[in-house]
Amino acid sequence: MSDRAALSTSEVSRNSLLPVLLSLIIPGAGQFYLKQRNRGLAIFAVFLIQFLLTSWAFDNYQVGLLVISAFETNWLWIFLVVFWVWNVNDAHRLAQNKRVTNLFAMVIVALVVYIIAWQVTDVQLVRLVTRFGNALKIGNDLIHPDLFTQDASGNWVPSENFGYIFGTIEQQPPPELFVRLGLVSPTTMLPTYQAGKIVETIALGFLATVFSTIIALPLSFFAAHNVMVRVPFGNTIYYVTRIFFNVVRSVDTLIWGLIVILWVGLGPFAGVIALTIHSVAALGKLYSEEIEHIDPGPVEAITATGATFLQTIRYAVFPQIVPPFVGYTLLRWDINMRSATIVGFVAGGGIGYFVVETLRKSAYNQYAAALWAIAVVIMVVDFVSAKWRERISTGETQVQTGPRRPFYLSLRFWFYLLVGIAVFAYFWSLSEISLKAMLSPAPTLGQVAFGFINLNLDPPVVSDVVNQMLVTIFQALLATTLGSLVAVPFSFLAAHNLTGRSRLSAWLYYATRGLFNFLRSIEALLYVAIFFYWVSFGSFAGMLALAVTTFGLIGKLFSEAIENIDPGPHEAIIATGATRLQAIVFGVLPQIIPPFISYAIYQWDINVRLATIVGFAGGGGIGNLLLNDYFAFSKYRSAGTAVALIVLVVIPMDFASARIRRRLV
Amino acid sequence: MLRVENLTKVYPNGTVALKDVSFQVADGEFLAVIGLSGSGKSTLLRCINRLIEPTAGKIFWNDIEITAAPVSDLRKIRRQIGMIFQQFNLVKRSSVLTNVLSGRLGYVNPYTSLLNYFPAEEHQRAMNNLEQLGLADKAHVRADSLSGGQQQRVGIARALMQDPKLILADEPVASLDPVLAHSILKYLEQLNKERGITVLCSLHFLDLVHRYATHAIALKDGQLVFQGLPEKIDDAQFKAIYGQDAERVSIV
Repeated sequence: MSDRAALSTSEVSRNSLLPVLLSLIIPGAGQFYLKQRNRGLAIFAVFLIQFLLTSWAFDNYQVGLLVISAFETNWLWIFLVVFWVWNVNDAHRLAQNKRVTNLFAMVIVALVVYIIAWQVTDVQLVRLVTRFGNALKIGNDLIHPDLFTQDASGNWVPSENFGYIFGTIEQQPPPELFVRLGLVSPTTMLPTYQAGKIVETIALGFLATVFSTIIALPLSFFAAHNVMVRVPFGNTIYYVTRIFFNVVRSVDTLIWGLIVILWVGLGPFAGVIALTIHSVAALGKLYSEEIEHIDPGPVEAITATGATFLQTIRYAVFPQIVPPFVGYTLLRWDINMRSATIVGFVAGGGIGYFVVETLRKSAYNQYAAALWAIAVVIMVVDFVSAKWRERISTGETQVQTGPRRPFYLSLRFWFYLLVGIAVFAYFWSLSEISLKAMLSPAPTLGQVAFGFINLNLDPPVVSDVVNQMLVTIFQALLATTLGSLVAVPFSFLAAHNLTGRSRLSAWLYYATRGLFNFLRSIEALLYVAIFFYWVSFGSFAGMLALAVTTFGLIGKLFSEAIENIDPGPHEAIIATGATRLQAIVFGVLPQIIPPFISYAIYQWDINVRLATIVGFAGGGGIGNLLLNDYFAFSKYRSAGTAVALIVLVVIPMDFASARIRRRLV
Repeated sequence: MLRVENLTKVYPNGTVALKDVSFQVADGEFLAVIGLSGSGKSTLLRCINRLIEPTAGKIFWNDIEITAAPVSDLRKIRRQIGMIFQQFNLVKRSSVLTNVLSGRLGYVNPYTSLLNYFPAEEHQRAMNNLEQLGLADKAHVRADSLSGGQQQRVGIARALMQDPKLILADEPVASLDPVLAHSILKYLEQLNKERGITVLCSLHFLDLVHRYATHAIALKDGQLVFQGLPEKIDDAQFKAIYGQDAERVSIV
């Protein structure tokens, strides 16, 4: 008996000695040697990242500084040692064919990442308490927006601020056209509507959607692989267009705004261009994917009838792509409207510009009025866009009986066309679109273009840019974690299938849904001012602002994920005599955890993009560096470096998050 | 003995799913519940363990009035009544073992179980049940990687974890092909004969009713239209249950 035991231990040690030694020298090497190639490489990569992050955080932010008399060290190294030990043990267990788990290592790495993120983002929870007075003050302003005042006789009338936001009726000289036609004399004054900033915002979002649809439509065919394989040099065109879309898409609208103002100057027109540039790339990508995913069956069938190429496109391709294209355009309209509320922060035009003005004056009740106006407009847009998209995807628009009258014979068509043209023309004039400005760019635009090609790679600049990019990523990570964690309990309240049928739960359902919709209708950049005032300037304020939008966005996604679960398992577990809590843990959680994780990763991806611009309002990170250090001092080469790094980070994150999500679902 | 008295269920939208249904099932019976889709079979089975609250009527089980039991007692009653579903109702992403163990939730500590902790003897019981159903080697795979027939066997294993005295089977074979249907029903028959578990099983095919059931009841538009031995369902009865235009189809 003892002989056999001795024999087996020696056998085991002979088997596991080499891998253990290998992993002791290079983490992951033992696993690699044991044919677990991916595991070995992953362990090595994680080890390297942990090492680099720990030393980076220590060098730049003294994270983990431990002073023992005259001796300085970093206590975060303990985690690296623990990881190393775990890796050796892992190699040992693998060699013995025992079960291995990643849980412990994941906890270690997560701890290190969060400790570093916490310090680097400059989280100072104590400020939330010590400066709570500020929060009360701004909270008070938020619930008392400057919209109405009492006039001399004590009646409530719209305030001046109301006029700035929603527009005013003013006595103006009549339009020249009317005078020429002899309708009015040039001296009479006519009451004329002067559009407010929120109307201008709607104009920006609308025009950007129209322009980007028109531009993206033809471009998307160049980025569709199934089309391009039939064309000479198709592959090259395909890759170039794809890369163009991805690069342009990864740079936020507001960063485009910084560049565009050097081209056409500050104003609503710059806002339209910035929105359009980003939107073309985003729409182009979605359109091209939709073209790639069409069913080849109908194309084959129509071709088989002897139809011409154009006939095939018309009858086999068109019907397949039009509904999704319209759906994406509506979605983009929603997104563009949201971006239009903030594009004014840098480009001028729209309500964002007005918000910056109010903040400069520290007129928080005026700022509050703008926030309320934005929330109402965006919630309406969100609702309309979602309803239309739903109708398109369920095909409800096709309800009709009998043969269809040609569209040009219906009165409704002409009515919509006229209204459309009128709206378009009005918005065009509001946005101060000027082709002349486009054709005569300021000379600085050339400098920018040159700077963006000829990047500044001086070590101090690169180091600044990398530091701030890492801060941005950590900021997004903390905001995602915080926002998601808080959203989880709320999302259960906003899920119809779990809340039950009592009046209280129905009330809670609508209240929570409403809260989600309200909070997510306002862009993170607009929240920064609140936290700026509460916890002061810096990445902590930016992180909190991002967390608030995350809460609204992810709360909605989470509650929808809960509503989509299969009720069967829950019923089956209740039938076994389990408690309600047990039924949730065993019947509901396994169904919702994968989508929750998948949404959280998606949100992190979004938050990194958003975090690149929270610095435009005082939220720290790379946006702050880009605006206040580079663009403000015309350092376009350094700005180019920062933008290039954003592209380099955002594109791989986008791909990685898409792949992880596909694996999870 | 299970006794159903004047059971009525009206859904909030006004649908009358069950109308004054009364019948009895002696211990050890294999009772088939037949009827068209929408005749109230599922509602009836779910009223027995009160997954659906009846509108009126009483259900007695060995002198316990299920319909009057408070929530705390209801869980103790439910854990003695196994249930098997047409769509299996497994948690697809969880392992087969976890799915089977979840049948024991009514017995184990309600708090430690939340951390997916089950005592060793429960693991043993789960493995025994899986072995009996020929699925021991599948214990650690995800439930959705199994075929339909295998998933239904996991569903039975889950029900067996409850040490049930009664099994409610809601169309357990309607999603399976004929060969698998027989194998699943043979398991139920075996449990019925060897362990004396009472089975209430809703079925579509009359052949299966003749082959497996000891008694049968039939529902039509929520009303009881037949009660007796399966072989008593002749052509006239059949038309009364399924309508004049129905034709008998057989299943291999």
